[in-house]
Amino acid sequence: MCSIGEDEFGDEGGTHAMLPGCSATGMVFSAGICSKCDQNSLQLYKLNFRSAECRECFLKYVRHKFRAALGAAKVLPRNAEILLVIDGSSESLVLLDMVHFAQTQNTFKRLHCNARVLYIDARCSPIEEEESLLLALNGLKRRYEPFEFYVIQLDGDPQSLQLLKDYTPRQLDSILDKFNSSTSRQDYMQQKRKFLIGVVAEKLKCSYVFEPSISVTLATQLLTSVALGRGASVALDVALLDDRLMGDVKLLRPLKDLNDQEVQFYVHAQELQAFRVDAPSHYPLSGGCLQNLTRDFVDNLQLNYASTVSTVFRTGDKIAPKRNSIETQASHCALCQSLLDDEISDTLLAIEYSRAVSEVGVELHIKSSCDVLEQRVLERLNERAELCHACRNIQAELSSGTLI
Amino acid sequence: MPIDCKAKCGNRASLKRPKTGDALCKACFFAAFEAEIHHTITTSKLFRPGEKVAVAASGGKDSTVLAHVLKLLNERHNYGLDLMLLSIDEGITGYRDDSLETVKQNRDDYQMPLKILSYEELYGWTMDRIVAQIGRSNNCTFCGVFRRQALDRGAKLLGVDSIATGHNADDIAETVLMNILRGDTARLRRCTDIRTGGGEDSIPRVKPLKYSYEKEIVMYAHYKKLVYFSTECVFAPNAYRGHARAFLKDLEKVRPSVIMDIIYSGEQLRFKDTVKKPVRGNCERCGFVSSQQPCKACVLLEGLNRGLPKLGIGKKSKGDRMIAKQNQELALRERANLVKNDF
Repeated sequence: MCSIGEDEFGDEGGTHAMLPGCSATGMVFSAGICSKCDQNSLQLYKLNFRSAECRECFLKYVRHKFRAALGAAKVLPRNAEILLVIDGSSESLVLLDMVHFAQTQNTFKRLHCNARVLYIDARCSPIEEEESLLLALNGLKRRYEPFEFYVIQLDGDPQSLQLLKDYTPRQLDSILDKFNSSTSRQDYMQQKRKFLIGVVAEKLKCSYVFEPSISVTLATQLLTSVALGRGASVALDVALLDDRLMGDVKLLRPLKDLNDQEVQFYVHAQELQAFRVDAPSHYPLSGGCLQNLTRDFVDNLQLNYASTVSTVFRTGDKIAPKRNSIETQASHCALCQSLLDDEISDTLLAIEYSRAVSEVGVELHIKSSCDVLEQRVLERLNERAELCHACRNIQAELSSGTLI
Repeated sequence: MPIDCKAKCGNRASLKRPKTGDALCKACFFAAFEAEIHHTITTSKLFRPGEKVAVAASGGKDSTVLAHVLKLLNERHNYGLDLMLLSIDEGITGYRDDSLETVKQNRDDYQMPLKILSYEELYGWTMDRIVAQIGRSNNCTFCGVFRRQALDRGAKLLGVDSIATGHNADDIAETVLMNILRGDTARLRRCTDIRTGGGEDSIPRVKPLKYSYEKEIVMYAHYKKLVYFSTECVFAPNAYRGHARAFLKDLEKVRPSVIMDIIYSGEQLRFKDTVKKPVRGNCERCGFVSSQQPCKACVLLEGLNRGLPKLGIGKKSKGDRMIAKQNQELALRERANLVKNDF
């Protein structure tokens, strides 16, 4: 039976957003008159749904978006210590450039904060692309004086944090090889990164961390978190402010309102060069993984149904973080720091029941077997009570050792 | 090399459970599949002894398996339920007429009374005629909205305490993804509920197959040799739903547990206080449950009867303008008639 329109599909909802051809690709024109300042310009930037403008007007517009995200939420106090995390991607370089620019303004417009830059080295073997990575990082350091650059390896402890000039990578003795699936490996890497960022920020006495996520990455993150079973914490995964880090460190995503096109134009305008080398393709893949499939799905949407991506992103804005009732003592997942369930969900019970039920088979017809099974299911659910459901999935796909 | 059944029953495994990847023999698979549904029914307290339950039957795999398993569990665990089948005849030649034959076969096989309600008798329209009016796009909206209400009407007529529908885990996970893609927070809130409705005036709907995988349902029906109808509806498969479905199937190939994880995520989502919540009430025209005035079914029906089939599609303001324009034209024509008669 066709179930469209039944229960959940009563009307057209946002179907209009799925009409193909919504995305008219913007472009950089060669020359013309800026529609903003009426000046003749050698290069005009034409964003979707905006008229063509000169480089300066375009930069002013994009930089305003960054400042507005921080200003409107009033989350950043004056003279805050900031840790800026870069990964070599275009958006991270845009963020670095914007923060640097905001600090070089006159007193009235200046962003009053002290920034340090952190690069997390997640390469499998330090020899790979050694020169190009250090070259790129040193180039950035020179360009963005007086920011201090720090590097840490993904499997390192906080003590192994080094200044860029002293950085000598060592061979990773990594847990990353022990995962049975690349989905779990990537999820683990993401949680580990976040954990490291929190620890480093605390060590460097930075109360705020800037993360360079833009709208399309956050839309992907929303869908990925849902697919991984992180529904309870997804609001913080995509919000402007994420307060799950170690200590009192707060993670901010000031580029969340920027889209891919704006980032690409900014990269063009400022002649930035992305140098992403920490892609997890270094590890053997057993088939695809949820994160890559979701990214491909969103990329495809972006190409054919651009407004759906913004709908997904805006859905993320409507989700609130889960908070436990005040009476119960809040407990957090030992890996991802998300709030743990205060009661066992029926779905988790059903998941564990499924795993256990195949071991009993036809004996399920005997009542005593059912009771034993129920008991076993509850025991399994309580076994790794310090982890949330999604992190328990990571642990289950670890061939040896424990996550914590 | 033959593999032994994981349940250590002594038999050779004859299948791999899509949900967990365990190798099982047929008997152990049946036992596991049925036990999971029984577990869902008891932990979620879906039914009470003595209740009259209508199984929404389309003749497809989900509703056929649902009817079969509910009858079996009712007898095995003494639920004390009075089960019956409720079917809706949308009037789709070459599809529903054939599938209703399957439902009639189910009625005889499971010894359950069957009630068939048709769009023709309820609304005066068949889907064939609606499609002739509106064309191949948007016709699923009519079918779905009318069916939802038709089930309510049928349940009221039969005097049942609840309606059991065949929504499976894949359907629910798909719905969660779809509602995120559409930004539909109102539906996102309730789409994972195992029981919906059930206020003062409405009959609750329950989903006993909420945690059953589509692949396992097909496998169960196949090995149990259940008679079901597997043809797709002759009117346009929905491209919009297809996106979420294809994405989910890709994810499932990589990690089969993703379906349950998405349902779990959907249940855990909370929304900001500023997000508007729909207020459930009753339609002032037909009296059935609705969160808007008049209900969608009444608007769609009015559109068909006025000869404006697009009335209920898209924005309400657009529909209001269409009605105003038509009323104006009618008034003009009436005035012209009056003038003519005066002479």
